[in-house]
Amino acid sequence: MNNAKFRTMVESGEPVWDVVDVTIEFLYNGVTSDLFEKLDLSKINTDRLSPIYVHDYGIADIAWSYNIGYNTEAFKEGEHPKSWADVFDLEKFPGTRTLRDRVAPMMEIALMADGVGMNEVYDVLATDDGVERAFAKLDTIKDSTVFWETNSQSQQLFTDGEVSCGVILNGRAFDAAQKGGPVAIEWNQNIQSVDYLVIPRGSKNIEVAHGLIDEMTLAENQAKLANMIAYSPTNPDAFAMIDAEIAPWLSTSPENAEKGMLINAAFWEERLATLAEKWEAWKLS
Amino acid sequence: MGTLAAVPPGASAERWWSRARILVCVLAAIYLVAPLAIVLIISFSSAPFLTFPPPGFSLQWYENLMRNPMWFGSLLTSVKVLVPTAILATGMGTAAAYGLARTSFPGKAAVTGFLMAPLVVPVIIVAAGVFGVFRKFGLYGTLTGLIIAHTVLTIPYVLATVSAALAVVNRQLEDAALTLGATPWNCFRRVTLPLILPAVLSGLLFAMVISFDELVVSLFISTPIVRPVTVQMWSNIRGDVDPTIAAVATVLFLFSLCALLAEHVARRHSRATGHV
Amino acid sequence: MARPVRRGGYGWLIAPAVGVLLVFFAYPVFWLLLRSATDPHWGMQNFVTVFERPVYLRVLWNTVAISGMTTLFCLLIGYPLAYTMANSSERVRRLLVFVVLIPFWTSLLVRTFAWMVLLQKQGLINEVLVGIGLLERPVALIYNRLGVLVGMVQILLPFMVFPLYAVLIRIDGSFTAAAATLGATPVRNFVRVYLPLSLPGVLTGSTLVFIISLGYFITPALLGGAGDLMIAQMIERQIAHFGNWGLAGALAVLLLVLTVLLLAAMHRLVGVRTVWER
Repeated sequence: MNNAKFRTMVESGEPVWDVVDVTIEFLYNGVTSDLFEKLDLSKINTDRLSPIYVHDYGIADIAWSYNIGYNTEAFKEGEHPKSWADVFDLEKFPGTRTLRDRVAPMMEIALMADGVGMNEVYDVLATDDGVERAFAKLDTIKDSTVFWETNSQSQQLFTDGEVSCGVILNGRAFDAAQKGGPVAIEWNQNIQSVDYLVIPRGSKNIEVAHGLIDEMTLAENQAKLANMIAYSPTNPDAFAMIDAEIAPWLSTSPENAEKGMLINAAFWEERLATLAEKWEAWKLS
Repeated sequence: MGTLAAVPPGASAERWWSRARILVCVLAAIYLVAPLAIVLIISFSSAPFLTFPPPGFSLQWYENLMRNPMWFGSLLTSVKVLVPTAILATGMGTAAAYGLARTSFPGKAAVTGFLMAPLVVPVIIVAAGVFGVFRKFGLYGTLTGLIIAHTVLTIPYVLATVSAALAVVNRQLEDAALTLGATPWNCFRRVTLPLILPAVLSGLLFAMVISFDELVVSLFISTPIVRPVTVQMWSNIRGDVDPTIAAVATVLFLFSLCALLAEHVARRHSRATGHV
Repeated sequence: MARPVRRGGYGWLIAPAVGVLLVFFAYPVFWLLLRSATDPHWGMQNFVTVFERPVYLRVLWNTVAISGMTTLFCLLIGYPLAYTMANSSERVRRLLVFVVLIPFWTSLLVRTFAWMVLLQKQGLINEVLVGIGLLERPVALIYNRLGVLVGMVQILLPFMVFPLYAVLIRIDGSFTAAAATLGATPVRNFVRVYLPLSLPGVLTGSTLVFIISLGYFITPALLGGAGDLMIAQMIERQIAHFGNWGLAGALAVLLLVLTVLLLAAMHRLVGVRTVWER
């Protein structure tokens, strides 16, 4: 569900949803626009969660990452694109690319492709020159890029062989590979993100909604989800119940996490609107 | 001599033109029909992908359509919308057509134009406006909202169809009935309605097909809970595509085809019985 | 001339339709258009934005360019088709009418989806072209301008063919026959006599196709690439992604004005009746 539909739902006074899973940028943005009910944290057992996953307006339910995905029929493992710079190298790695049709975190990716280190990405992006630099880098692959809007779309593009490499979420790549699709991912330079469960303002079932959120942080429930789509639990106890073959797909597995960086939601809260318009303009230019 | 000399190049140009024409027609026919044929075939595919030609025959996607609550639910929602829509649009459209045909008042052309306006205004504008306003009316994400929006979009079709039929109804028949003391309602029911019935029915069918097919407005005002089948298809096309969507496409197509045939039969029947 | 029966008193029958359209059609459309001048505050700022920022100019240009190309291709395919319909035996005519009508009666979404199946990298067309050795590797046929045009021309072809056919069928063969007797070659005959006579049909069909193309949303959204964004998609994006009702309103005003102007021009040139004739 996108921002405006969510807003519409809240403004109508009768939200059809009582609990919604939103990305971290949406959480920050929605709090400033007063879209969510403040949570009554006494009704949710937050002790079983890592404190970084507890927010006044949302409880994190999954952690996941943006990854370099590639089609295994186009590139053999080992000879696949191993960095964003590789993804932007049309000569070494021929074929159509795919990026997410959102400015975040495509800017970060473009800067990394242009040689900016993971630690400096947001410092560079905070300057006008940095933004220009990111778009200039994006220009180099624009004509060979298909943009996806929904996650299932990205999965489909890879499975159908429509694209050879590009951006995909770890869980989606897992699901595609699980279904026999020729899809694999690289963990280098992954971008880690988190989803939160929120209650839309005006919900008529606040009591039950809290109950559902609590239920969804139970270790066994989070483990079930992880076993299905390889999104990491926020309740550490859940890891013990996750199948061994899932672990390499989890963004929070230490060897994966250390190869990546965290998305900076505070950065995007301030800049989303202006950069999103630039993104639209760039796509059309 | 001049004319004789002109014949061979002229004749060859003519032959060239007629060959080119036939080629264009054949190619155009393939272009128009082939995609549809392929969708129909894929709906019976045994493979879980949209591969063509399909490796084998199976009805699994039709089964999925009936069993999967997401698909079946959305199909049901569409039916729940299209039936009231067709009835409302046909009622109001026919009434308006009759009212317009049997009265004259200043500004009648403007009123007619206004009633046809939903055909002219790009649907994206209607969709965005309706999305904005229906929130305030409490109609966003409701069956009622969808029915109202679809009714608005289909009234012009009914109006146009019925008006065309009314234009050729012999008014003296109505006059005779009224002179003989029939009430206006009886006159309409006994004299006019039978004459324009085929048009009314085809308006009804038009409205049903258009409502069943409508996507843009529905996309704006439906929610995952009240979601017509076209919106369900839309979100599937942009995501996990499997041949179920081809099965839905086939159902939609058959529905349109039945409507088209019914309309055809109605017209032929009315022509045979000497009506318009 | 005594009028035997009192006519009238039927006017109220129009009221329900007018009422429903006023509240649920005119009001929402008006409300949206008004956003252009009131959101976020009174003024022309949204129109200034549209005409100042390259993004929106590019979208407007895209819209006109795609609609124009669609119209051109519809005409190139539709003219010979309509001509054949108008100058063939009843059987051929019926067959062609059927062929043109069938897609007309099938869901736009379904047809667009069919093109996605056919044109994708592992789709039938790519596989055949690679199979017969015409291509070395599959090429991108969708998510670009080509995909949009293939889809839109197919969908809009009936709107070109039927108005054209309606005019062509009425062209009296004796004109061209007369010209031929007077020594005109068939080509000259066609260019000087037939084509001018068919012009009202060409105009009506082209205007219709162009106008409908302008507001297209589904086909470019599914078959187009990043650079093929059209005005309707931009309106949707402004509302759904950015909640910017003012800009959406301004774009809607432009789209509506363009549509109405073109319709009015067509009305003046050929008379509006032909539009609704089928």
